Amino acid sequence: MSHVIEPCLVCENLEKYLGEDENRVHVLRGVSLTLEPGLVHAVVGPSGCGKSSLLYILGLLDNPDEGSLRIGSHQVATLQDEDLSDTRNELLGFIFQFHFLLQDFTAGENVMIPMRRLGNLTIPEMQERAVSLLEAVGLGSKATRPSRHLSGGEQQRVAIARSLANNPNVILADEPTGNLDTANSERVFSLLTKLVRENAKALLLVTHNPEIAERCDWVHEMRDGLIIESRPGSNIS
Amino acid sequence: MAPPLYIAIRFITSRKRSLFFSMIGVVCGVAFFICTQAQTRGFEKYFIETVLGSSGAIVLSDRFQPRYTQFENIDTSGLVAGNQQSRKYYDGITDPYRIIRVARSFSNVLGAAPVVRGNSSANSSFQTEIVRLEGIDLRYHLEATSLKDQIIFGNIDEFRLHPYAIMLGSLLADKLQLKVGDTLTLAGKDPKAENKTFTVAAIFRSGVNVVDENRAYLHIKTAQSILGKPSDASIIIFRLRDPQRAPQLAEQFERLFNHRARSWQEREQGNLQIFSTLRVSAAITVSLIILLAGFGIFNVLTLTVLDKLREIAILRSMGYHRSDIRSIFLWQGFIIALFGSILGCAFGGLLTYGISLIPLRIRGIIYTDHFIVDWSWEHYVYGSLIAFVAVLIATYFPARRAASVPPVDILRGAGQ
Repeated sequence: MSHVIEPCLVCENLEKYLGEDENRVHVLRGVSLTLEPGLVHAVVGPSGCGKSSLLYILGLLDNPDEGSLRIGSHQVATLQDEDLSDTRNELLGFIFQFHFLLQDFTAGENVMIPMRRLGNLTIPEMQERAVSLLEAVGLGSKATRPSRHLSGGEQQRVAIARSLANNPNVILADEPTGNLDTANSERVFSLLTKLVRENAKALLLVTHNPEIAERCDWVHEMRDGLIIESRPGSNIS
Repeated sequence: MAPPLYIAIRFITSRKRSLFFSMIGVVCGVAFFICTQAQTRGFEKYFIETVLGSSGAIVLSDRFQPRYTQFENIDTSGLVAGNQQSRKYYDGITDPYRIIRVARSFSNVLGAAPVVRGNSSANSSFQTEIVRLEGIDLRYHLEATSLKDQIIFGNIDEFRLHPYAIMLGSLLADKLQLKVGDTLTLAGKDPKAENKTFTVAAIFRSGVNVVDENRAYLHIKTAQSILGKPSDASIIIFRLRDPQRAPQLAEQFERLFNHRARSWQEREQGNLQIFSTLRVSAAITVSLIILLAGFGIFNVLTLTVLDKLREIAILRSMGYHRSDIRSIFLWQGFIIALFGSILGCAFGGLLTYGISLIPLRIRGIIYTDHFIVDWSWEHYVYGSLIAFVAVLIATYFPARRAASVPPVDILRGAGQ
């Protein structure tokens, strides 16, 4: 008996224009992508090819001008702003290049921010989960430390823990290692892929780093708003 | 705790200097508002209490008879009765005790007292002065006025027991150089009649200059005899449970008794307008201070929004609604208004207490040796209310702006 794996995210023929009139740029020209649980996808390409635009549309932070997007069972085209926010909170995790932690908050509080919005757990349960997520990224002992007192690598690991706070199906990462040294890049990437594979999440990674891209399950190369090539990474079995 | 409130508290406590400067404006504004209102209202209330204690809330005087003129053709719609306000007045009140009996059936009336009024010449060994004599029925008068509390020398029982006893206003006693136990003579209306000698039984101070330097109290029968007043009383003064409703009751009394009735508000209109103008002027001045504090908060929060654009985008990317972002900034305004008002009320109370201790000698329309303040809760409520309105208006626009920030623009900009 065959077992069909339901994709976490499916987008078809996404189109996006930026700017007005003569400055209008066609940044996405019909991008289609399917993210399955447990797999790591990398999107590579030169600056301005539409990688970030694609990521923001998949992350429901921006609307496509054409095309369809489904996250889990949600067809997002019909959702209102508040429903999009709720979907983002429940089903998506973001990791940014510059970690984007709330500097005045402790590491633990940063991890708890998405949980507070979801409101499924009590405060002690949230604290417990935040500590366990921080332990998973090797920062269990620094849960109460203000995030501005952490190093760059540590802050990015807190951002990874935060992206997993509400146990999302899809994690979207915009150059998560772009601002780190080689050792920290290696550590963050290994951690991310391990967590994704162990917890059956889908990870879409935008990166300029060819070594990291090659270690992903799938590599999608973008140019001028199009995915011109999708191929398995060197890690694919 | 709601997530926006939690984040607002964390944001606001992480910027202690901005918080301090935002709050100090609100604290000072609320405190100054309370303080100025306490002073102006204090003087006004003291004046009103003094007026009510000396001359009653309503004064019923001369009887009148309405004079109806002939029907006049006022407009084309038909004939209406002409000038009904025209009245013929008759000096004094006949049978005042019957009017008092009827008036006491009104729930608002606490006491009423007949008074015979007139002027006479008072001679002491040193001085002669024209005095305003008031013949009173002591039992009724004590119910209708604060005379008992106004006695500063002597004993009211001395007055009660002796038909030729007299009570003098403190300034009048000074002018005549008389003290309790001294005697003075009063000239009667009939120049051929012999002057009567009176013993000073008590000296009173009402606090109203014009009363204290002219008024003398005698027994009503003695006053009628000296002044040659044919009527039983010149006026009736009324003490009310709710003096604020005096104008309505005065109107009712006029219709019911056909006597002229004037409320304290009508009698003291000029002075009350001065107090009211001062109070409104002070309120406007201090409200401007609070408004300036509001501008300060507006600036601080606008800068905060600019400073927190990245955080706003992060929160939006993690699923926070626009309304959550708006709430975060509105909560910050609310926290500033709440704690600013609490501290402002405490500071205002302290300032008011401090001011009440400042020595201030006034011998004019009122008598006082220190600042008079009014400890009314309303000043605290209104001060806080103005602060809340100013701060929340000042917060609303930055909050709305924060909520409308498109997160993708910020993230795209920050990532480059």
